[in-house]
Amino acid sequence: MTLASSPAIETRGLTRLFESRKGFLFREITRTEALRGIDLEVERGAIFGLLGPNGAGKTTLTKILSTLLLPSAGVARVLGHDVSRETAWLRPRIGLVLGGERGLYNRISGRENLRYFADLYGVPLGERERRIDEMLERVDLVESADRRVEEYSRGMKQKLHLARGVLHRPEILFLDEPTIGLDPKSARETRKLIRSLVSDGVTIFLTTHYMFEAEELCPRIAVLSKGRIVAMDSVDALRRLVGGDRTLEAEAYGFDDRELEALRALPGVSKVVTEEFGPVMRLTLRVRTGDLGLEEVRSVLAGRPELSLRERRTSLEDVYLDLVEEEAR
Amino acid sequence: MTENGTRASFLRTFWTNAVFAPRTSLGFMRIDFVLGTVFVVPLTQMAFFALVDQLGGMTNQIAFTAIGNAVATVTYSSVFSVCQTTDHEKEYGTMEHLLVSPANRAALYVGRGLIPILISLATVTVGLVYAALFFGAVIPPAHLLAVAASVTLTAFAMVGFGLLLGGVALYLRTSIILGNIFLFVGLLLSGVNFPVSALPVPLQVLGEAIPLTWGLAAIRSAITGGVTPALWWLWAAVAVAAAISFAAALGLWKVFERRALATGSIARF
Amino acid sequence: MRPGAKRTGFSARRSTLAALRLSVLQFMADPQWLVPSMIAPVIFGIVSFELFRGAGRYYLTYAILGAGMMSMWGQTLYGSGWATGQDRNFGTLEPTIQAPTPYVYVVLGRVLWNVVSGLLGGLIVFGVVVAFAGSPPTVPNPLLFAVLFVFVLLTLAAVGVVFAAFYVYTRYAGFIQNIGEFAFYVGTGCMFPIVLLPFWSNPASLLFPPTWALDALRFEAIPGYAGLSWGFGWDLLGAVATTAIYLAIAGAVFHRVERHVLETGHLSEY
Repeated sequence: MTLASSPAIETRGLTRLFESRKGFLFREITRTEALRGIDLEVERGAIFGLLGPNGAGKTTLTKILSTLLLPSAGVARVLGHDVSRETAWLRPRIGLVLGGERGLYNRISGRENLRYFADLYGVPLGERERRIDEMLERVDLVESADRRVEEYSRGMKQKLHLARGVLHRPEILFLDEPTIGLDPKSARETRKLIRSLVSDGVTIFLTTHYMFEAEELCPRIAVLSKGRIVAMDSVDALRRLVGGDRTLEAEAYGFDDRELEALRALPGVSKVVTEEFGPVMRLTLRVRTGDLGLEEVRSVLAGRPELSLRERRTSLEDVYLDLVEEEAR
Repeated sequence: MTENGTRASFLRTFWTNAVFAPRTSLGFMRIDFVLGTVFVVPLTQMAFFALVDQLGGMTNQIAFTAIGNAVATVTYSSVFSVCQTTDHEKEYGTMEHLLVSPANRAALYVGRGLIPILISLATVTVGLVYAALFFGAVIPPAHLLAVAASVTLTAFAMVGFGLLLGGVALYLRTSIILGNIFLFVGLLLSGVNFPVSALPVPLQVLGEAIPLTWGLAAIRSAITGGVTPALWWLWAAVAVAAAISFAAALGLWKVFERRALATGSIARF
Repeated sequence: MRPGAKRTGFSARRSTLAALRLSVLQFMADPQWLVPSMIAPVIFGIVSFELFRGAGRYYLTYAILGAGMMSMWGQTLYGSGWATGQDRNFGTLEPTIQAPTPYVYVVLGRVLWNVVSGLLGGLIVFGVVVAFAGSPPTVPNPLLFAVLFVFVLLTLAAVGVVFAAFYVYTRYAGFIQNIGEFAFYVGTGCMFPIVLLPFWSNPASLLFPPTWALDALRFEAIPGYAGLSWGFGWDLLGAVATTAIYLAIAGAVFHRVERHVLETGHLSEY
């Protein structure tokens, strides 16, 4: 495999340990394994989504891949180059958006922030101002570009982070929850910007908590839980993995074990999950085939006059919760 | 679910702030840095001025300077650190949450002074030991109790002064400038390196507004004469300075809390 | 946007200038930051002048030079590291380290600005102490004196570059530097010649370029100054040599420190 045809991201057995020390005379060392043997492959020019609960290791993985942290073990290659040893080659080609309230120079303007980083990234001088204007326009910050960043709202700061991340035209862009804090219109604009970057050939590595965002943007998704990748595939394949792309829901004032067993025995039912909402109990059935319909379920639960039934497509959120909860068990 | 408007008791707020607040201020409660402040700073500061004395041919002045600087180190934890907790709250974005809480302000602010008082006491004590060991200062054992009482009163007064400055810092973008001024101004105005009487009268008046001036006078008096009527007057002066500082600090915190909320400066640092 | 297009990477000169420009902008946004580095020197200068009063006319020069130096130290040495500490607080250290520019060039740009602001601060402190004393010091060769004054500042800048690495290394650097501030003033003999210090401590003092440069400056400014017994020429040579060593090791130190923080993952802590 040549470097040009190598995957955008490739990791093998990637592990990261953190040590924290407490105490003075008697030092107490706590070790946390943030990543535990990550194997990952992301093709070039695609958007890859990384989902996971808080503390799963998403930011740690993003930082390692963007050369901000070294792995404790294993190998990570970005654009065919080792993130630990070839940082000088990689950094001009990588964009990183960590977002949040911090990470910007608050006492100077948004435009000056971009100018500074344009210089650090070696954006050609003749193009610098034009590119800054272009980026400010794309993130809708033209009017506030010359105001101090400390006067920006959280969403405006998020947009400035994004502008800084793509100003130098990276080949691969790491986005850590890019739409957090944005209003719906700005979030939609951001997703549009992300899609336009991909059509320009940029590879995007996206972490997000918004399932609809991942579903909308990412052809391939990995779910990270407790430092391990518990699933990685397309959304449809993940649906199949958790038991089907159809979900039937039944609600009533309680169900007995016999009914649950009968539902589990229906053809095509891969999983039955029970949840309680006060006096109401909800059964969620993942269904693999198109043969099973609401009527078959209704006939099993015929003795419950208050029964309500509905069918929907298995959402990414269902998939995610199934995977993460399974891992937690 | 609400707690129906209940508020934490004065003592609980006081204790929480006494123990918790200094820990949030980076490095303040790291034992190695506290030890550094207590053991290294007094020695190097005293050595600096002792060497200046030596260069100027004033070797008979060294013990006087050493005692003055030993006591002046009280300002590091009592004034500078207390003052800086305001900055840290702003930096971490916790100041707004603090001010929106229903906690009793007196307990909240005064509680923050407890640990600095203890560190100040330790710093001055170590400084006085250095003065006796390395710089020729004589502290008669019979006068130790009087000295200890004077040091304790001085530490209280200076923490009150630090809280007062912290109140002003609430309104300012940062307390660093204010903290720096009062960290060192005592060296000039409080009789640390030479008697206050050597200063021009307007500077003497300024010096008398700083509790350190009275505290240092009391400590010098206790070292030379033990408990005397003059020392009682000086103790009274330090106590008054402490009371004024704490009262003014509470008043100022309230005033500047209002001002900061009005101007929106509370979130800027 | 075409991935794989020619990468310009970074230019050391441009990155340094960008950092210099950022420092100027931040200073203009809040010029009060010059003040903290001047308070202690002004007070120390006046106190020392008071203590020297009656000792002789050249002792005023000690007080003024010492105060001026301390101010420049505050701005150049402390300021260079402190700006990195601010990067940590603002959360800008991570994106800056992630940029293709080695961080040492960013520090270099800041140090350049700190040299200018340090000179400004030093001159203000110089002026305040002279005003307090009532008369300027007698300097035999003002031009050489001015050149040496700037030279001392450059030696400080060299130390500042290396010290700044410490701020990348740990979030506690500011506290450690605060604790060591007086030790540095004493060790490098800013207000008095280091011959007054115990002999065993002299080798440590001579590790710092400003110790040599300041001694050379005193040779020039104070007639009859003995200082280190080897004289003006060797002082100057020592200052140049130690400064060169500091600058030479700065790149390596930064490379090592940057690697270390990527290993520990402490970059985002503040």
